[in-house]
Formats: sequence, C-alpha cells, structure tokens
Amino acid sequence: MGAKMNFCSIELGLKIEKDADRRHRETGRVQFEPLTSSLTALLEKIQIVMGDESVPFLLDQGTTKTYQIPIAHLDYKFIEKCTDVKHLEKILRVLRSGEEGYYPELTLFCEKRIKHLDPGSRALRKDKPAATASDFTAEEWKTISSELMSWVTEMNEDDKKPQFLGTDTLHERQDNLPPIRCSSSCLPANQKNIPRDYSEWDKFDVEKECSKIDEGCEENNSKARLFSRPSIPIIEKKIDTTGMTEKEKIFIATREKEKGNEAFAIGDYVEAVTYYSRSISVIPTAAAYNNKAQAEIKLKDWDSALQDCEKVLGMEPGNVKALMRRATVHNQLQNYQTAIEDLNKVLCIEPENAIAKKNLLEIEKKLKGLKPVSETEGKGKRILIQDVEDSEGDEERGENTEECERSGGDKSSGAPVRGEAAPGPGAMGSAQRKFHSKGSKAEERETQKQKESTESGLKKGTSEKKPQKHLSGREGEVNGYLRSDQKGESPEAAVSRSHGARSQSAGGGNSTSLPPTAAKLKSEGNELFKSGQFGEAVLKYSEAIDYVIGLGEQSPDDLSILYSNRAACYLKEGNCSDCIQDCNRALELQPFSLKPLLRRAMANESLERYRQAYVDYKTVLQIDSNIQAANDSANRITKTLIDQDGPSWREKLPPIPVVPVAAQLHRWDGGNFTSENKPRSTTDINREEQLQMNCEKAEEKFQTLKNEGNDFVKKGKYEEAVNKYSECMKLNTKECTIYTNRALCYLKLYKYEEAKQDCDHVLQIEDSNIKAFYRRALAYKGLQNYQASVDDFNRVLLIDPNVLEAKKELEEVTQLLNLDSSAVVGNQQKQRKKITIQEVTESDEQEERQFATSEDDVTDHVTSKEAVQKCVPPQSSEKLHISEPSNAYDFGQIINAVNTNKDKAACADLLTITDPKKLPVLLSNKLEGEILLIFIQSLEYYVLGKDPDLVYQHLFYLSKAERFKVVLALLSKNEKEQVQQLFDLLAENQNHQYSLEDLESLKKVYEL
Amino acid sequence: PRAPGALRLSELRGGRLALLREIEKAKPIKCGTFGATSLQQRYLATGDFGGNLNIWNLEAPEIPVYSVKGHKEIINSIDGVGGLGIGEGAPEIVTGSRDGTVKVWDPRQKDTPVANMEPVQGESKRDCWTVAFGNAYNQEERVVCAGYDNGDIKLFDLKTMSLRWETNIKNGVCSVEFDRKDVNMNKLVATSLEGKFHVFDMRTQHPTKGFASVSEKAQKSTIWQVRHLPQNRDIFMTSGGAGSLHLWKYEYPAQRSKKDSEGAEMGVAGSVSLLQNVTLSTQPISSLDWSPDKKGLCVCGAFDQTVRVLIVTKLNKV
Repeated sequence: MGAKMNFCSIELGLKIEKDADRRHRETGRVQFEPLTSSLTALLEKIQIVMGDESVPFLLDQGTTKTYQIPIAHLDYKFIEKCTDVKHLEKILRVLRSGEEGYYPELTLFCEKRIKHLDPGSRALRKDKPAATASDFTAEEWKTISSELMSWVTEMNEDDKKPQFLGTDTLHERQDNLPPIRCSSSCLPANQKNIPRDYSEWDKFDVEKECSKIDEGCEENNSKARLFSRPSIPIIEKKIDTTGMTEKEKIFIATREKEKGNEAFAIGDYVEAVTYYSRSISVIPTAAAYNNKAQAEIKLKDWDSALQDCEKVLGMEPGNVKALMRRATVHNQLQNYQTAIEDLNKVLCIEPENAIAKKNLLEIEKKLKGLKPVSETEGKGKRILIQDVEDSEGDEERGENTEECERSGGDKSSGAPVRGEAAPGPGAMGSAQRKFHSKGSKAEERETQKQKESTESGLKKGTSEKKPQKHLSGREGEVNGYLRSDQKGESPEAAVSRSHGARSQSAGGGNSTSLPPTAAKLKSEGNELFKSGQFGEAVLKYSEAIDYVIGLGEQSPDDLSILYSNRAACYLKEGNCSDCIQDCNRALELQPFSLKPLLRRAMANESLERYRQAYVDYKTVLQIDSNIQAANDSANRITKTLIDQDGPSWREKLPPIPVVPVAAQLHRWDGGNFTSENKPRSTTDINREEQLQMNCEKAEEKFQTLKNEGNDFVKKGKYEEAVNKYSECMKLNTKECTIYTNRALCYLKLYKYEEAKQDCDHVLQIEDSNIKAFYRRALAYKGLQNYQASVDDFNRVLLIDPNVLEAKKELEEVTQLLNLDSSAVVGNQQKQRKKITIQEVTESDEQEERQFATSEDDVTDHVTSKEAVQKCVPPQSSEKLHISEPSNAYDFGQIINAVNTNKDKAACADLLTITDPKKLPVLLSNKLEGEILLIFIQSLEYYVLGKDPDLVYQHLFYLSKAERFKVVLALLSKNEKEQVQQLFDLLAENQNHQYSLEDLESLKKVYEL
Repeated sequence: PRAPGALRLSELRGGRLALLREIEKAKPIKCGTFGATSLQQRYLATGDFGGNLNIWNLEAPEIPVYSVKGHKEIINSIDGVGGLGIGEGAPEIVTGSRDGTVKVWDPRQKDTPVANMEPVQGESKRDCWTVAFGNAYNQEERVVCAGYDNGDIKLFDLKTMSLRWETNIKNGVCSVEFDRKDVNMNKLVATSLEGKFHVFDMRTQHPTKGFASVSEKAQKSTIWQVRHLPQNRDIFMTSGGAGSLHLWKYEYPAQRSKKDSEGAEMGVAGSVSLLQNVTLSTQPISSLDWSPDKKGLCVCGAFDQTVRVLIVTKLNKV
C-alpha cells in the first residue's frame, strides 16, 4: 500500500503556452527538412529524389487518407486564404497525425491561422504538462511559493489554537438545528410512510401526508402551504451565529459575501442584497456594506443604498467606492450639492479618478441648469406648460400634467418630474396611467425609473439635462450633433459618417488640410453661426474663403465646405440668392455634396422656384434616400407644381442630373472628385441662372419690405411694421427673422398671444433661435405664464449665458412666479394645457441647422405626438450605438432612443442583431403604435433587402408580443397601408424560408 | 482518502506533504466527505466497499462515532451538507450505492436512513455512481441529485419528498455537483463516461422541458469528477481519464430565462469556455477537491497511486 507521496506545484496560469517545437521524426518515406516551404515545392524535390515515375502516383493520390482533403490544400497559400475553420481543423489534424509527413512549420502556421479565425477552436487545445518552477520568472515563483507558505503557516497557527468549545455550546448549536427529517418531524418514524421507490415518490401525496399531520398540530398548517411549487425562495436575512467561533464567523461571512458577489455578477441583485445582509449579520464589514450599496443602487433602492454607504463611511471614512456610490445616490435623489461634495472628497483622495471627474462635471452642469427652477420646486410646480395650438392631444397631455404634479408633490425634496411630461406617450403612457390608482413612494420610484430610462434614451426631456451631455466634450460628438437635426436619418449624419474626419474638422477647426488661419476663421464662423450671429459668421467665412483662394492651394473640399457654410448663413439670413450662389460654388468644387444641394433646394423653395428646388431635392434623394426633410419637401413641391402646372408638370422640369453611383451616400470621401463627371450640364445651370434672375425681383421686393419694416420698428411704429412684416411673410414664409421681428412688434403692442405664436413658429423652424426664446419668454411673462417664461429664459441663458437682459428678466419673473405660485397651484387643475418641452440644441457644428423644420410642419399638426416630435428635435449626442440588448430594459431604452430620432437605420441595426424569438420578451408590455410603425418602416427600408426571412421572423414574433392586438387596433389607415406594403414586398421577395401560406396566415394576424 | 482500507492524513509542510497519520481499516474505503460535520468537529464520513457508512473522529479513529450498514453493495459516492458552514438546516449525508439505492442519513438518527430512493420492485437496478446535495438555502429546502450508470440523472426534492426532475445524458454519469449547495439551485454540472459534461441551469424549470443545459466535450476519455471552485461558483475543474485536468468557466447568457410559446418560463443555457488544461499523469485522475480556505489550492488523486497538490494562480483575474 505504500503509495508514494508526490508534491507537484503546478501552475495552471492563464498564459497560453507557446507551441513547443515538435520533435522531428523521420518518416519512412521521405526526409523533409523544416525549410520546405510548401508542398508544391516539396513535390518538386520528390521529383528529383525519386525520379519521374513516382510523381504521378503521388499526384494521383490527390487526397489525404483520413479526411480526403486534396493534397494541394496542405499549403501555406491555401491555409492563408482558407476561412473555413472546420476544414482547417481537419488539415491541422492531418498535419499533426504525420501521416502525410511532418511539417512542423506548416503545422504551426495552420494553428496560427485557426487561432486567428476562431480563438476558441477545440483543435487548438493541447495537452500540456503542469507548470513547474522553471516555467516562471524567479519573481513570479517567489510570490507564488511565498503566498502558499504564508498561508500554510497561518493555517497551522489556527490549528494550534484551541478549536473545540465546551460541550455545552456544541449542544446548544445542535438544539438550533432543525429536527431530524421524517423521524421526529412531520413524518412518523415508521419507514413505510416514506416512499421507497421512484414511482412511489411520484405518487407521494404531500398534501395528504400533511393533512394527516395537520390533524395533530395546527402549526404545520403554514408548512403545508409552502409545499406548493414553484415557491419563491425564502432566504433568511440573518444567520444564527450562536455558538460559533470567530473563525467560523469569518468563514461564513466571507462565504455569504462571495455568494452575494456571484449573484451580483449575474444580475440577480435582490439575491445579492440578501446574501450581503446575511454576511453583515454575521460580521459587519465595510466591503459587504459597500457591495450591498452597489446592489441597491442597481435596484434603485436609493434610501437603503444611502444608509449602507454611510455605514461604510462610518467604518472607513476615506472609502472611495462608498463616496462614489453615495454621490450616485445623491445625484439620483437630486441632492446635487451633497453629490458634488462627495465627488470632491473622492478627488481629494484620488485626484486622477476620471469617473469622479466626469460625474462631477455632469452634476455641476445639472445643478447649474436646475438652479433657477429648483427655487420653484418646493411649490410643487416643475412643469413646463406651453400652449400648443392643437387640441387633439390636449386631454392626454393634461392628464400627464396632473399626474406629474401629483407625483411630484409627494416628495418634498422633489425630483423634478418634467422629464416625464415630455417624452412621447409611447414610453410614458402605461406608467402614467398607473399613477392614477396609487399615490405613494412606490410611485415616485416608478417615476424615477421611468425618468431614467426616458432620459438617457430619449433625451427629449428636460432642457437642463441637455447641455451637460453636450458639453462633455468628446470630439466624436461633433459627428453626433450632425444627426441631431430634423428627423432621424438626417443628411448630415449620412455625410458625417462617410467622411467623419472631415466634418470633424469642420466642427473643431483642427482641419489637416486647411491652413491654420483659415481654420481659425472657420471655427470662429462656426461659433458665430451657433450663437445666431449669421451676419458676422458670413464675414468670417468670407475671410476664410478669400484666404484659401489667395493661397491658391488646391483644397477644393475645404473650400466647398466654407462655401456651404456661408450658404447656410445666407439661408438663415434670408439672403436666398447669395445662398444659391454659394451653393453653386460649393457644388462646382464638390459635385453632389449633400449640404449645398439641400441648402440650394431650400433657398430655391423659399424663392418659390419650385422646379429647381424639386430637382435639387430629387438629386439629394438620389444621393441619400433617407433624408426625410428632402422627401417631405419633394412631396410638397410636387403638390404645388401639380396645382401650378397641371398633370404635365413633369415636362416643365429641368432635367434631374443622374448621380453617379460613386457619389451616392458617400460624398466628399476622396479628393479626386475631378475624375467624376460634372453632374450638371451647362444648360441646366444656365436655365437655373435665368430663373434666378427672374426671381431676383421677388427677392428684392422682400428685402425692401423687410427693410421698411425694420425702419418702422426703429421709429417705434409697430403697427406699420407688423403690416410690412406680414407682407414679407407672404413672399417668404421660411424667413425666421421676419417672424422674430414681428414678434418683437407684437410684444411692443402688448399682443402677447400673437407674439408667442410667431416665436413658436420660429422655434419650429429653428429650434435654438435665441431671439425667439427671449421674445417668447417675454410673451409668456405678458401672458402671466411665469413658469413657461422662466423656462424660456433658462434656455436663452443656456444658449448664451451672457445675455444680461435675460438674467435680469429671469430674476424678475422668478420673483413674480414665487408670489404667484400659490394661486397658480390652485389653478393647475384647470390649466389643462398641452405641454411640450422645447429643446435647446447646443451644436458644435454650425452646419447642422439648415434642415430646420419645413413649413408644413408648423401647419400640419396632426396628432400631439407629432407635435411633440417636431418641437423637440431628436437629440443624440453621438451616433446611436446599437449593441445587442440583454434585457427588456436595455431594449426599451434603445427603442426609445430610436423612436425619438426616428432613426430607422439604427432601428434596423437593432432588429438585425436581435433574435426575433426574443422580441416579445424584450418588448414586454412596451409595444406602442409608434414602435410598431418604426419597426415596420425599418424592416421595409433596411432589412428587407438583406434578409427577407429575418423580416418575416420579426413580423411573426412581433405578433406574439404583448399589447400587439391593442396596438394593431389603434393603427390608422395610413399606417395599416404601410404594413400592407411591407407584406407585399415580402411576398415579392419570397424565399424558401417562409411560404406564401405562412405569409397569408401572418397577414391575417395583422388583420390585413 | 481513497486507498483501500487505508486513510492517510497529510499536512502541507515546507513544500512537501508530510504524513500525519495512517489509519488502516478492514474494508476498503471508496469515498468520504466532511460535508456534514461542523467546522469544530471535523468528523469524516466514509463509504466502503461493503456498503457501510462510517463517521470517524479523526482524533480518535479506533471506533467510528457513527456506523451503519447502509447498502448491500459498495457505496460509490457520498456527499454531505449542513456542515462546514455550508447549507442551512440539519447535517445530512447522502450515499449512492451499486445496489441502486440512494439514502439520506442524519448522523443524529441511528440505523435507519431519513430518506430512501430506490427503483420499484422488478425494475432493473441501476448502479448509482454519484450523488450530490443542493438547494439548501434555507432550513426546509434541500435536493439530492443522483447520477446512474445508464446516464440517468434524477433530482429528488427532500422537502416535498418527490422526484422533481429526471433526464438521461446517454452515458454513465460519473460525477454530479451543484455549483453551490447552499444557494437557490443555480447550476448543476454532470460529467459522463465518454468525456462530455453537461451544465444545467437550475434556476428555471420548464414544466415539460426541465432545465436548459449546455454540453461540452472536454477530452476523449471519461471525466471522473467535477468540482466547483468554492470561491467562485462559475469556475470548475474536471478531471479526466487521460490524467488531465481542465479548468472551465461558465458564462451566463444575457437572459437566463425566456417564455416559450405557451408562456411558461424556460431556462436559457449559457456557454462554457476552457480556461486552462494540464496533463498530470498517464493514469486517470479519479478524484479532485479544492481547498475551501486557500483560493486555487487543490488536491487530486490518480490511479497511479499518487496524490498531487496543485495551485491554480490568477483565479481572481477570471
């Protein structure tokens, strides 16, 4: 029996062992040197060695013995190109087996290739011996062995200590134990009562057994009920530690904490909290409290988290993690000041803590944005109320308002609930409804949760939250801003994605090709444009252009951007003819650039040159068919032209240039534009110029009228000025300045309602017009709607913090508001006004604005939803990052973001990576008409072409989702048509994955 | 302690194993566990070739503190719960034997098992190769999982005294273990004769489909044993017939459960990735265990009459 004792200290470290050189063995057939580079070369060698007869034999054989792989595949070139991992694995096995000869280097190469393609491949697994001391550096080995030694000594010391307690404590412990199963507890000791074989086990009637016992004792009643499965796991929150030694306690506390960590790791936070509590009940440690706090943060149990953080800090005042977590909690509880204090403490301890810095910055921004408002919070008024002209949505909105107030009022510390009021009913509907029935803290939490989800996803909500996100200052966001324009897939987004670097340079002024002076001028111009000083911006851009031209350098794309930017300024100023000129120049330099085309189209449209505008829009759509603004405008113009020219309107159109394929969707992606065909025929341009001349008159008239109006304003004759401006508007409805000017006149005339309407109009077109905000704020003040007024002033200050008047007014209005608040609170119930939250766009790039809402958006409010969407420009700080959603919450967030932006491409991405089968789970009960619609649209536009089967799958599982029937019933006729259309397309693109019958039955489900 | 009839207690001392005491018993011992004893007592429970269950006080090993002739044939496997601070509730020992029965014992009750699971009369008796406790997260709940030579895995619920679930993995089940005995059933690993192992997600039981599982082929030879790292339940080591050890990590899926077409919850299995492997011997490594105190320290016994102590480093970085 004398087994010898071995001690092997073995390292199973994670380093992947370099492949050891395989031994060369001599095969019977041929001796190969490692230098044989490929089998082809090898065959030649054989030829020499063996003579000519043997070669045909070898070549005839053709394949390997085991897997029938063509011998030619055992070659560097083949392996290098092969992407079929299975095949490569076979090759590797053949190579390793040595039946075709030994080629260590080729084997190694093949292994590398497989590793490159599939790092987890099983073929790469190799037996390897345990690591020994020699496999480590002296240092590593020293740490390993010294750790082990110290542990051994520690254990030995523990062993020597008296471990056995007196027998009495042992007995005590045993008394705590549950009774012996069966014998002394529920079941009598008689063995026959216990099932003995499997079938008996199945038949064993627990209820009956229990009822038998119940006769004897009532106590077991509760136990019997517990038998019904599935029972919710009941884990004691505390551990009875009587009679335990300190050592045992430590052991158990650690173990419970580990269980908590494991539960936390898989996202089971409730269980994690339980185990942390258990650990704490044995021995309270800072680490356990700290982890518990983190789990509670995940559960959004802010109060408990706060308590736990404080306990940690009681034990370890300098615990960075606890400080960070407490800051998070305070942040969530809206105690920004305390949050900032905590973060500052963190930064005192760890000055380099990047997360703390970032959070601090965010919170400070939030605080700054909130300050004026928070003054009013205590009074239970934290909702922006704005009149919106349409009545349809009123009821719902009003309800929301009420809800928000109610829930807001529940908590005096008051989380501003304005986030809720804003997001589309899609996200909010269900949550809001719930508020009716309940009225407690749970509600508040719900609100919070909802808010979080909507905020991050939608970013519709509070205007205060906005800038902080924007200013977080990542370069990449410049790109993001580009898409924050009108609707979803804005043209800038398309452009910016295709030539990210370049547009970044446009935003940041760090262009590589622009000379520094020009770049500086350009960024100054961008700044001016952002702040709405278009005239000055034009000057800057002109300087930049002159400078670049003066240099004589060939940088057509930069020049083109400069022209394009100047065109944007002109467009804003209403100087349409100059705008068109600049656009033409930009297009000469860079044919088929989206932005100049779009700008020219808009300018043409506002000059009522519908045909040119139409052509330009169409060209834009050829380049990128996803530009909603262009689509809308093209449709609108079509209508106008049909009215104007009758059914044969198309004949009068100038020819629409054909966009070369290379130019589609990726403009400016190379400097070699010269090789591209010049898109516009000269006749085309000539004709356009003629028309331009014709329209010059209208333009002139417009200008004179405007100037006259301005003169009247200067003289104080506001009535007359209003008339002039109104005439101007007949000529050009898109000119913002006219509206803001007229709003000013109305203000002076105390016609606040009209002034407000004008401002609203401007803001529809241009969401960050500072003047419009300022004037609307004054109008609200006049209308005694102080809350709205305060909010507008805040926006003004957000756009430009240096507007002194706004500050002054703000203070005044805030005071008024405070005076008035009690009265207002009383009035709230009556004031069922429609609320929309206006968003301020802080753009880093001036180019983003020219796609401001087109006219019809203002007039065609159909539903409140739309109104909200249009008022609130979709914001995303960067391109929606779509990652596979792990749970319904993630999914919901992405959907919300997608929905806000109407970003069908992103939605399509999402749908592509989402397993259709999971759709119902992921959607949970959040399916809404809007979501359904955007799904349908993105499936149609993006997914259908690539993978019709996926579309079918999605449609199929979509119909399994909760609320599907309800949503379907609520679809409008128009929307139904879209669904129908998708089905038609599906039928056309039919493939073998689904049959027409399937489609038909699914159609029935969709009630088509 | 696998050597027939002999128990050896050893101590790590200065990089060598030092023999503390050698105890010889008449009947060859097949398996043993400390699982049902308190941290203070440290009594060892053993099952031997004669079907006897003995509990020994290792300080006084002459007479067992508890002894029962539990089975007619060899006790293949033993597991304990409720001791060592692991698992709520009473200390219990479960034994699985070649005679096809699985019996649960309470050291406080002499002579008779507290639960007995055996095939019906007439049904062919299968050799029970392995047993394991689990789900002991409170005083009432407790399950026993048993694996048989025909590939059956049966899960007995000791609270309701019912067969909760059974499945067949086609090949003899060499070893089963819950990742934790003392939590709400989370995962179960079952290894098989032909070199595969299955990881079952035990959180969600579907009414008909049972538990979701993922299987992985570790090696060409039998996987003799699986043991989860006491400090991290998602890492486990399998010991194989070719003398190799494989260290695995289980990765949870994004969502552990989903609704099937009838709306019943069903589990979703995750994936398993190999962290490291090592070959120690040409003979099978038949048993394996981790140190509960020192993370990464483990011991394994092989058919080449050798006990090896290994340390696995960098486990905290996984």
